[in-house]
Amino acid sequence: MAREGESRSFRRKFCKLCFDKVDRIDYKDDRRLTRFITDRGKIVPRRISGTCARHQAQITEAVKRARILALLPFTSEQYR
Amino acid sequence: MKTYETTIIFDPGLEEARINEEVDRVSQSIAQAQGEIVEVQRWGKRKLAYNIRKRRDGTYIHIKHKSPPTLIGEMDRRFRLHEGVLRHLTVLAVKESPRPAEEPGRAAEPAAAAAATAATAETAAHASHEEKD
Repeated sequence: MAREGESRSFRRKFCKLCFDKVDRIDYKDDRRLTRFITDRGKIVPRRISGTCARHQAQITEAVKRARILALLPFTSEQYR
Repeated sequence: MKTYETTIIFDPGLEEARINEEVDRVSQSIAQAQGEIVEVQRWGKRKLAYNIRKRRDGTYIHIKHKSPPTLIGEMDRRFRLHEGVLRHLTVLAVKESPRPAEEPGRAAEPAAAAAATAATAETAAHASHEEKD
């Protein structure tokens, strides 16, 4: 990919949540979840963030719940 | 009896007393159904990520409780009819995993994952989505 190709050195992506040894990501933890949504409010895909399958599934669930409770946006204000 | 987490967002204009009254009423109905309140968290007034019913803020109350499943539908109905409630969500609480933080070992992982999927599958999510300004 372009970003990795720039320096011609390949850096393997890793799951940040596994690195932090997070057992369960909570929908109430909106500060942590903001790291996994784009500035438009979309959920960042695994191929970009490098998250493992288990944690990605947890993120998806948590983000969707947090959106219902207006802790996270469905979409950013300026695109509405 | 299952453990649930209910979060309620009240209108920021609602007086403290009215909110307490509503929380008491919920507590009473849980007690009446042989349930049990585990914890009540008051997050206070928070800014909403998007406007709900033209409100920018909301007063958040988070209740962890043990209730019979039949009560959840009843609670949902009540919150929907309540004008001071901007939004509410009830989900199954995640069981505390006995896995220690400093020893993440591979062996503990499948059990945790299984618990996670079980909790996800049984999610009881009630949210009124119709009002999005």
